[in-house]
Amino acid sequence: MRHRSPLALLLILACLGACTSHERGTELPSGGPQAPVTGLISTDPAESRGPAVPVPGATPGGTVTVIRQTELTRLDPQRIYSFLGLNASQLYARRLTTFADSGAGRVTLVGDLAETPGTDLDGDCRHWEFRIKEHLRFETGAPITAADIAYGIARSFDLSLTGGPTYLQEWLAGTPHYESVFDFAADRSALPPGLTVPDPRTLRLRFARPHCDLPFAAALPFTAPVPAALDTGLDYNRRPVSSGPYKITKVVADKEIRLERNPYWEPATDAVRHQYPDAFVLAFGPDPATQTNRIIAGHGADATAVSWDGVDPSLIARVVNDPALTDRLLRAPTPSHNTLTINTRRVTDLAVRRALNYAVDRDGLVKALGGATVARPVTTLMPPTTSGWRDYDAYPAGPTGDPAAARRVLGGATPELVLAYPDDAEGQIVATYLRGSLERAGFRIRPKAVPATTFLGATKEADNPWDLYPGTWAADWPSGAAILPALYDGRGIKPEGSNNGTSYLDARPLDAEFDRIMTMRPERQPPEWARLDERIMRDYAPVVPLFVEMECTLHGSRVGGLFVDSIFGSPAFVNAYVRK
Amino acid sequence: MLRSPGLLTLARLRRDRPAMVSGVAALLLVGLAVAAPAVGAVYGVGPEETFAGDLDPYGMPYGVSGGVSASHWFGLEPGLGRDIFVQVIFGMRTSLAIAGTAALVATAVGAVVGGVAGYLGGWADAAIGWLTDVLLALPLLICAIALIRPLELHLYGPRDPVPGWFRAVTVAGLFGGLGWMPIARLVRGQVIALREQEFVTAARASGAGARWIVSRELLPHLGAPVLTGLSLLLPAFVAGGAALSFLGLGVLEPTADLGRMIYRSLGYLQTDPAYVVFPSAALFLLVFAFSTFNEGLRDALDPRALR
Repeated sequence: MRHRSPLALLLILACLGACTSHERGTELPSGGPQAPVTGLISTDPAESRGPAVPVPGATPGGTVTVIRQTELTRLDPQRIYSFLGLNASQLYARRLTTFADSGAGRVTLVGDLAETPGTDLDGDCRHWEFRIKEHLRFETGAPITAADIAYGIARSFDLSLTGGPTYLQEWLAGTPHYESVFDFAADRSALPPGLTVPDPRTLRLRFARPHCDLPFAAALPFTAPVPAALDTGLDYNRRPVSSGPYKITKVVADKEIRLERNPYWEPATDAVRHQYPDAFVLAFGPDPATQTNRIIAGHGADATAVSWDGVDPSLIARVVNDPALTDRLLRAPTPSHNTLTINTRRVTDLAVRRALNYAVDRDGLVKALGGATVARPVTTLMPPTTSGWRDYDAYPAGPTGDPAAARRVLGGATPELVLAYPDDAEGQIVATYLRGSLERAGFRIRPKAVPATTFLGATKEADNPWDLYPGTWAADWPSGAAILPALYDGRGIKPEGSNNGTSYLDARPLDAEFDRIMTMRPERQPPEWARLDERIMRDYAPVVPLFVEMECTLHGSRVGGLFVDSIFGSPAFVNAYVRK
Repeated sequence: MLRSPGLLTLARLRRDRPAMVSGVAALLLVGLAVAAPAVGAVYGVGPEETFAGDLDPYGMPYGVSGGVSASHWFGLEPGLGRDIFVQVIFGMRTSLAIAGTAALVATAVGAVVGGVAGYLGGWADAAIGWLTDVLLALPLLICAIALIRPLELHLYGPRDPVPGWFRAVTVAGLFGGLGWMPIARLVRGQVIALREQEFVTAARASGAGARWIVSRELLPHLGAPVLTGLSLLLPAFVAGGAALSFLGLGVLEPTADLGRMIYRSLGYLQTDPAYVVFPSAALFLLVFAFSTFNEGLRDALDPRALR
């Protein structure tokens, strides 16, 4: 009986398989708010003052662990651009402004280091002033002044310190090639043009063109203060000096980053952050399935841990069906908006682009990706979390697409289109599914696998040879200004390195509209962007909006105060505490 | 009655019941795989057909054991909603075609190269030994990365889809081209041992030429090691193909592939075990049937090696 054990194993597996039963009509609530963020920029200076409202039931002490598969390599606040970096750096890098987030869709931009979210001095969005709060200190005990913030912005011009966002640099320099205007390395004590520090508590920025979105851009960590004397250039990435409630005390490459309390952080100056746990640990290595299983088991430190990578689609059924886990599940839509992008330089026939919109089966695609906890269908160009977002469907075809309507629009034509896709597991699934639903409507789709590592760069080349490809865009702040001009303003097309997912739409009639809305006051922009969103879809159909990604992650039974932030759609740590 | 060695082998094989049963099973599975399109047509479901309507909002199939029903014998794939039975049959075809071709190529090349090295000896043996060592040192994965995509870039335009069979042929060629060395070493050792045996010396003394000695004296004794090698390579190549698939280097969607399917299913072990069971059982049966039959065949070919 040499082969007894594998047969026995097979029998056990077969029984396990047979024991599962899943009845129709036992769906669980889809969960998560779909509402756009509201209450955007704070006008009351009191909202920018600390201390932050205490979290009910929160007690100090303990350690919160964040588990992620891949290492967080960027700690330097001027070089951070990953979702984990943006959220984790809230603990040690304060910015000029920051979002006070209720975790349920209500978001207010408040002053962080600044007393207010900025003052537009001349009322034309070109000249901005930030008054810096008093009693701000670095982890060294040294006071934080406007000069430290200005130095941080200046060092972001250094091309050797790349990786971070480039809004401020480009706006101050008035050109995307900001390094040609200001050379940080040549004189580290100089400030870029337009940036001035009239006194230690005042920071002024002057732009050649109006940038009404500056208060939002200032919430990115490149406005974090850096003490010039302690700036070690590239090495600063390993040990940035903290201005927030926690400081980095230990970095083990590829394994963990440990943050402990910063005694010099003054709660009275901070409107959003708390300092409940003794420490935060970012632990790297385990894959998403292991993270979920460990947190369900909840041994030792896992009881106070949160999974960064979220619940793997393969384990969703287990997690949502376990009542004990429901209140430990964090679910919310993210700003990551996915499209089937149409290369409008190649597909010039509007009827074809409209037919593509009628043909796509979004419901099936979402299921193929892992269902309601992974993605949510969308028919707009902006994700539902965008301020002012209004739902519409320019090409109503039901949740599973309408091949007959698509055929009518095509009028008997059967266009042949090349669909390029990254050859990783998800890219293959998306392409397979899209191809199936488009071919049902009469399209002839030629799937072209492109190595996943080069795919993004290749689609960003304006003369790329493909007709269709998947695209993703996640805005840095929930305003149409960070989405529509970036993707659909034809004047922004570059030969290469254009924005992700761009369809190379170059429509002159839209130019004036972009300029008109961009120079409006930020609070009046949202409904205008929503109108423009619909107009672009109806008049040009440059993409097929597919879905927004959903955040769905699990945390341990003894950690509280975690929520999904409305800006990046990832777990936020500012309210986290350990339950006794 | 005097019987030929072939008939003797067959008779011995007939008496070996496990070998006969597994032989029939292997033939049946190969038959199913070869006739995959016909099986799909009779069954009434195509390999790319999706049944998203039978999945819940999380992409999990409704019903018992991952959606097993009269119309979907093995249920549905979670997420994609394709019929698992059809995927298994078509996937078996892909895996068998690639692994089988690769194993045959590797075995043939290995037997010839090893035989030549062992029989000729001297500088030929040294040179071949050196070549074998060099090739053994080449990591398969690096070669796959270095070869597969550049080859496609070279042969296909940026807008031309690469057909599924091209990837399959490349992968099979790569496995075959880099998998023959163990067989060559095995055969070389066997030939060197046989070369000095009395019956070879006797044949040579009675004036037999090289051709006679190779074909009549040496080759019949090489069946057992070659078959062993073959039976080891086949499952290894099936698994190797699966590994390549997940690096984007193996067979890509929508071509069904057993290895890729099993790899994907493993994540569902806790939530939809039936999805793991069916393709894994198919692969298990396939490999089990082949290796049991090979074992019997080897015993039948070389009864002295028994026990």
